[in-house]
Amino acid sequence: MVARRPVGVALLSATLAALSVVARSETAPPSGAGVLVSRQLMAAQQLRVGDLVSLSAEPDGSQPRSFRIVGEYEPTPDPMRLGAVRHEVRLHLPDLIDLRASGSNPLDTETVDAINVAVGSPSDAGAIARRLFTAIPGAVAQRAGNDERRAAPFVVLERFHLAIAIVTVLASSVFLLALMLMLVEERRSTVGVLRLIGFRRSRILQHVLAEGVVIALAGAAFGILLSVVMQGGINQFFQWRYDTALVFVRITPGVALRSIAVAVPLGVAAIFASSWSLLRGEVLALTRR
Amino acid sequence: MRAFVFAARSLVRQPGRTALGIIGIAAVGALLFDMLLLSRGLVVSFRDLLDSVGFDVRVTATDSPLPAGVRMKDATLAAAAVAELPEVAQVIPMRTASGEIVLPGGRTVAAGFTGMDPSTRRPWTIVSGQDLSPLTTPPAIVINEPLSDAIGLPIGSELTLRAGCDPGRAVSTPRTFRLVGVAQFPFDDEAQNTAVVSRDALREACGDDRDEADMLMVASSGGSAAAVAAIKAKRPDLFPITNEQIVARMQTEGFTYFRQISAVLSTITLIFGFLLITVLLTVSVNQRLAEIAALRALGFSRMRAAADVFVQGALLVGIGGVLAVPLGMALSIWLDRILKAMPGIPAAMHFFVFEPRTLVTHAALLLATTLLASAYPMWLVARLPIASTLRNEVVG
Repeated sequence: MVARRPVGVALLSATLAALSVVARSETAPPSGAGVLVSRQLMAAQQLRVGDLVSLSAEPDGSQPRSFRIVGEYEPTPDPMRLGAVRHEVRLHLPDLIDLRASGSNPLDTETVDAINVAVGSPSDAGAIARRLFTAIPGAVAQRAGNDERRAAPFVVLERFHLAIAIVTVLASSVFLLALMLMLVEERRSTVGVLRLIGFRRSRILQHVLAEGVVIALAGAAFGILLSVVMQGGINQFFQWRYDTALVFVRITPGVALRSIAVAVPLGVAAIFASSWSLLRGEVLALTRR
Repeated sequence: MRAFVFAARSLVRQPGRTALGIIGIAAVGALLFDMLLLSRGLVVSFRDLLDSVGFDVRVTATDSPLPAGVRMKDATLAAAAVAELPEVAQVIPMRTASGEIVLPGGRTVAAGFTGMDPSTRRPWTIVSGQDLSPLTTPPAIVINEPLSDAIGLPIGSELTLRAGCDPGRAVSTPRTFRLVGVAQFPFDDEAQNTAVVSRDALREACGDDRDEADMLMVASSGGSAAAVAAIKAKRPDLFPITNEQIVARMQTEGFTYFRQISAVLSTITLIFGFLLITVLLTVSVNQRLAEIAALRALGFSRMRAAADVFVQGALLVGIGGVLAVPLGMALSIWLDRILKAMPGIPAAMHFFVFEPRTLVTHAALLLATTLLASAYPMWLVARLPIASTLRNEVVG
């Protein structure tokens, strides 16, 4: 029983190339070089470890070579490829070079896209990259994890999220102020009675501020708790939606502290601003006499 | 009408509270409006961009509609076969390559190169100088404005180009081109260096004799769907795709992040708006219980009292919603500018694009939110016991 299905996949090794291939699965004698197949491709084509597949570098699937699936792997999560179907196969570098070599160009067997270099001391990486850059004309040497071009979209997204957060905080502040105005109105007579029995304005102000801090802290803590509870659900939804192992939401202590640093002063300021008219008012006016 | 006037007077009686409520709803509404613009902005903008080029079908060697994938072999033959079809008005093969322009003194400027033969339709607009001409010696080259700024040479200068056309091959020998014009390319981002030469000239610069193309750009004569069907029938080995299909594919694969974030933020915004209106109306009703009970005692029906609450909510949301539109438009310009800094986004594309349907959706969502948010305070008013409320108020 042989199933032939044309499938577009990315073949990966130390060399990386996007190719169209013909995949074939069969239960065949133990031959062929080993390849790893991504989880997504295994599921999409109902492949199993041990199956033989044919890979071709040609768009029409001609000149295929047989490989045996020796394992399944989870592709490294890549935010740049969010939404892309990760149909990928990993080959040994010589196998990939053989598969792609046209025979007409001797350089085909000597060409790779990139060479990964592990240096003895990470602090020397920059200096070694500079030395390689001058020693091999035409080559680009750069530190891994220092690729500004790859990081740029996330810097932009971070700015976008910050802008949305600023607008949300502004809207929340107005909401809070409106709410506090209403609640303070209900306390008009209470403040009037406190003033009548001898409480000074500063003493009442201390009460108001203390109450504001407690409410703001409680609100911020509840908000962070809600975020922590929700982050699992949000991550699960988006990981399911995009079929990826990427983590979309992570509530870190830094994020929590930043939220508190914004929410508490805003809450206190809203309570203080809304209470100000009561504190400045005449006692008789407050008690409606 | 009387309910409307009565509710308006109730709101005017509390100007501070009303103003804050309207400002809050305007801010929330602006964010909601922007998220609605974002939900389809990229798709609409990308479709406009594709259509503006003048070709409505693209033909590739694989099912990937993007250039720089697997190249089509014998592209001239394929183009001639497609051009023979009555459903096709024009076909132009296109090939891309990367490389660099070598300047006097050895300085190099990296750029992307496109090889396309001059025709009546071309996906670029000449800003200064002339368009490509097949008769120029050395071969003509047209570059975009960022590349022109980077090399700093005037039109008419000779440029040395070193092309890298195949990752499996060494970079070819440098070739000389004459700079004949500066153009705008619709798919360029703001920092992208781009140049276009004829396909033959690019093939020479690549140093190979392979008749390859990344894709065939096709203008249909009787509709893109008919052209795709005819191409598939004549050349089953090729993969034609219409602009609509590319947009649909990008919608499900490429632009999903912004649709998702738009959906999430729209939902959060609506919940926030719902809470805002509910709390405002509920607290307002609680503070006016005695007044409402007195009105009921004077003869106001339950329905009339509940309608008063709903109209108050509708007025707050209506005024806030109207203010939200210009506020949202202004906010979208700022947010669009932030997102357009993302590399690889064509300068002509926008994340936030206005469509009349957005206004309708915005109004419908705000109306639904008002209805839901008014439900609880309306219920409080409708079931208010008149006698006990008045008694409690007097005793209090």
